[in-house]
Amino acid sequence: MAQVTLSGIRKRYGSVDVIKGIDLQIHEGEFMVFVGPSGCGKSTTLRMIAGLEDITAGDLLIDGVRANQLRPVDRGAAMVFQSYALYPHMTVADNMGFALRMAGVTAAERSAQVGRAAETLRISHLLERYPRELSGGERQRVAIGRAIVRKPKVFLFDEPLSNLDAALRVNMRIELCRLHAELGATMIYVTHDQVEAMTMGSRIAVFNAGGIEQVGAPLALYDRPANEFVAAFLGAPRINLVSQPQADGSAAHRALWTLLADGRPDRVVRVGWRPEHVRVVAADTGIPAQVVLAEHLGDTSILYLRVEGVTELLHAKVAAGGPHLQPGVRIGLSARGDTVIGFDQHGCQVS
Amino acid sequence: MGDTTVSRLGAYAMVAAGGLIMLAPFYFMFVFATHARTDIFRLPPPLLFGHDLPGNVAILISRMPFWRNLGWSLYVALFSTVLTLLFCSMGGYAFARFEFRFKQSLFALVMGTLLVPSFMNMIPTFMIMDALGWIDQPRALYLPGAASAFGIFLMRQFVATAVPKDLIEAARMDGCSELGIYFRIVLPLLKPALGTLALITFIASWNNFIGPLIVMRSPEMYTLPLALRSLQSPVGTEWGALMAGSAIATLPLLVLFVLSSRQLISGLTTGAVK
Repeated sequence: MAQVTLSGIRKRYGSVDVIKGIDLQIHEGEFMVFVGPSGCGKSTTLRMIAGLEDITAGDLLIDGVRANQLRPVDRGAAMVFQSYALYPHMTVADNMGFALRMAGVTAAERSAQVGRAAETLRISHLLERYPRELSGGERQRVAIGRAIVRKPKVFLFDEPLSNLDAALRVNMRIELCRLHAELGATMIYVTHDQVEAMTMGSRIAVFNAGGIEQVGAPLALYDRPANEFVAAFLGAPRINLVSQPQADGSAAHRALWTLLADGRPDRVVRVGWRPEHVRVVAADTGIPAQVVLAEHLGDTSILYLRVEGVTELLHAKVAAGGPHLQPGVRIGLSARGDTVIGFDQHGCQVS
Repeated sequence: MGDTTVSRLGAYAMVAAGGLIMLAPFYFMFVFATHARTDIFRLPPPLLFGHDLPGNVAILISRMPFWRNLGWSLYVALFSTVLTLLFCSMGGYAFARFEFRFKQSLFALVMGTLLVPSFMNMIPTFMIMDALGWIDQPRALYLPGAASAFGIFLMRQFVATAVPKDLIEAARMDGCSELGIYFRIVLPLLKPALGTLALITFIASWNNFIGPLIVMRSPEMYTLPLALRSLQSPVGTEWGALMAGSAIATLPLLVLFVLSSRQLISGLTTGAVK
């Protein structure tokens, strides 16, 4: 268990600033998720913590000790790779015991520790097999097992579930949460999947363009995003961003703006409206809108709606049971509770 | 009988004829190895095995230190192979997986040496070996070829497909030293390519005639191809003994090839498809 502190961390490749100064405190035993679109620098940051990339500037502290120049193994970090990176020519047991062997642990002690880790992950029956004989899910377990065996101070996960199919991914997600509770270890987890971020993290750091946009608990980020980027990144379907209408805007657009932004400070020029807060009412009562596309998922239905004068389609997530909501149908919209988020002209939240 | 059967029989006949033509010299080498010189020049020449093999071997041994020459051939071929495997795999690994200054230019330079005809190297090689005082020493044969451009290229291509970057980083995270990564992770994964390169290198060294011709002076330091050449003379070449020597020289390669032809072919095509 360890505390990881990043202060003023930068990374430069040639003349390109990839990471533009990151300050972040990861607490002992925390499950921290780095989330963001591809190329935002989340993996690079993780690799700098691991010691696989040099840190151009700034300080990396692990348990209060400056680790910038330490070799990966001396940082006490273990990493699980997206590709699993199992040694193909070694059995599962040898894969898991490799780090211990490098550390000079005796064969007997090694096999005891590997055995314990294998039990935790329920892969004891696989120990004599080779990676090529395992399924994707089993390989993933072995990769995690290899990390556990070392008893690291901090676990690093680089998109570990992205090569698994959907059902297995849900299982492994639960499994990883269980593991975190069981080991109580500090974990840093990189993903571009916001569902993983929301469900697994004690806290989430949302990355964008080489910096952190916001850090906080999943629901805090969802309910009170610091800016439009965070608001748009978390939540599926995406949050609706409605801009203030021009003076000559359509009646429907102006009515929508009044509905959403009424009583907010003047500097609010755009509002965020979560799809689940959109209420569908009879055509002649609310803001007039037309269904462009409807996805009936069984439990809920996702509607793509056009409001005259609003450039982007609005998303609405409504309870199932509206089979009449087909493309072309005209409906009315109203808001569910006071859940609209206001943004100023820089995209920052106005509370 | 359908058309396809006829054309298939035709194809078999052609392949069989081609095979016969290619195998004939090989067959006659073994046949002549069992006949005395006078028998070989009879008309028609002998087509079946005779009884003079012991006599031919006796001539061979009396004319040259045959077993010693065979030993040197084996010694040089083994050393060349081991050194080539070591240095080519290291070089190929470095070019495939490390970033360093002038990497592209260095690789271009290595590849460029493939363009130089090997005969152009004869005189410089002799001068260098002479300057080093290595004339008549086996190391003059196995050291210059210890890292071949072809081998480095083959290894680089193979590393690029068979050794993912993640594996190397995983080993680094596991506390493996850089040399440890090479020996414990990279080398085992290169096995198929190493087998191919070993075979190619061994055969090339075993058959090498020009190399020893340049750097070896005393007959007791000759490798087999050179030693056998010394049996030839304008008058009275001992063809029976020469054929016996050639046949013995071929045997190790035959064994090697039978054991590893599948490996050789799979190694050469790895990376070509997939």
